[in-house]
Amino acid sequence: MFLAAFIPKQSDEASRDATLVHRLLQRDMRAFEQLYDCHSRLVYGLVFRIVQQAGTAEEIVQDVFLQLWRNAARYDTSRGPFLPWLLTMARNRALDTLRLKSERQRRREDQTEELPAICAAPAFEQQLDDKRRVSQVRDLMASLQPQQKRAIELAYFEGLSHTEIADTLKEPLGTVKSWIRNGLSRLREGLQSAT
Amino acid sequence: MSTTDQFGELLEAYALGALDAPERAALEAHLAAGCAECTQAIAEARWLVSQLAYSAPDAAPSDMLRGRLMQIVRAEAASRRISPTKSPVPFWMWAAVAALLIAAVYSAWDARRLQNQVRDIHNRAVAELANREKIEQELAEVRREATILADPASVKIALATNDPQLAPLQAQWHAALGIVLTGQKIPQPPSNRVLQLWLIPKAPGGKPIPSQVVRPDANGNFVLLVAAPPEQMANTKALAVTEEPTGGSPQPTTTPKWVGAVS
Repeated sequence: MFLAAFIPKQSDEASRDATLVHRLLQRDMRAFEQLYDCHSRLVYGLVFRIVQQAGTAEEIVQDVFLQLWRNAARYDTSRGPFLPWLLTMARNRALDTLRLKSERQRRREDQTEELPAICAAPAFEQQLDDKRRVSQVRDLMASLQPQQKRAIELAYFEGLSHTEIADTLKEPLGTVKSWIRNGLSRLREGLQSAT
Repeated sequence: MSTTDQFGELLEAYALGALDAPERAALEAHLAAGCAECTQAIAEARWLVSQLAYSAPDAAPSDMLRGRLMQIVRAEAASRRISPTKSPVPFWMWAAVAALLIAAVYSAWDARRLQNQVRDIHNRAVAELANREKIEQELAEVRREATILADPASVKIALATNDPQLAPLQAQWHAALGIVLTGQKIPQPPSNRVLQLWLIPKAPGGKPIPSQVVRPDANGNFVLLVAAPPEQMANTKALAVTEEPTGGSPQPTTTPKWVGAVS
């Protein structure tokens, strides 16, 4: 009991996701529908932000959820929360699509078969509902210096590397690295202090 | 500064995908070497980076996407349900069972066919045997008739008639082999009537003893063999022939057309 206070409790949402994913492994279509209804807005918002085209975004979201349906067995429910894993997969797909536009010789299939590595929620994590988490993250991002925020967004939503961001912002590479490192630290601390 | 501390500053940038190629390769080599601390830190960094998704502007996919997706998933689930499951029995075993069944059916059919053939052969054999017996019997009768006619011991009996239109009949009686009665150019009686032989006993007041019946052929010829006369020659005074209904009569119903004394 005493120790339990120090062990992060799984939120209702995480517990629900774990149950739904478990049912998904049994090819339960209803579980798939519920997972889609719970997370499709967030996934679509992320993908649309990256590709900036509604049609392309819908294709990517469809691919992501079909991949989930077809390869649910490859998701290890014991190793981490489901939603960050799903978001990582969606982001990777969207960035792959962006890169394909500039590297047409690369075959899309080479990328889409890869599933993201597992995510691990930190000890302080107690998953909030989507609305509260959106508000929290947006507030934290808004609190960053504009250039710091821009550097992180270029990396996250456009998949640029340190050097590419430095070129884009016409800032020294070291400065960009610091902005990103410090910005992510503030984000982590902000999420931690909020719980 | 330990190696882990050295890479610690890169972990979140790595999860973000922002590391340039040289730094990324160095970190991945470090992770590949099995650094559990960095591996765990990377997993947590991925979680942190994933939270940036919440900063994306609100947007919702169309209802059409949901419908399209569910249609695909439903179709895949249905095809999975109706896809044939692999049989636990190997194909060669089914083939062997099928071959055995075919062989069993063929064997049953063949046995039935053979049984029918055997039955047919048996029936034919029985018929042949009956025919042969009949032929042998006829042959024996012919031989018997020939013997009676040729044997000097046979007693010749001429059966005379009062009808000038009729030819006389001839009979030869062998004490051991029987009587042979022959006729030539004898008019056929009506279709419902036959000629019947009678033995007239010597005993006073003795009634005619009925014997066999015969019907001349289209040419008016006949040969009647009485292998076992109903009376001995010694006790018989005469032979007589009457016309009787088909099947014969127990006693004469007409006046004899032919009569011959047994000498």
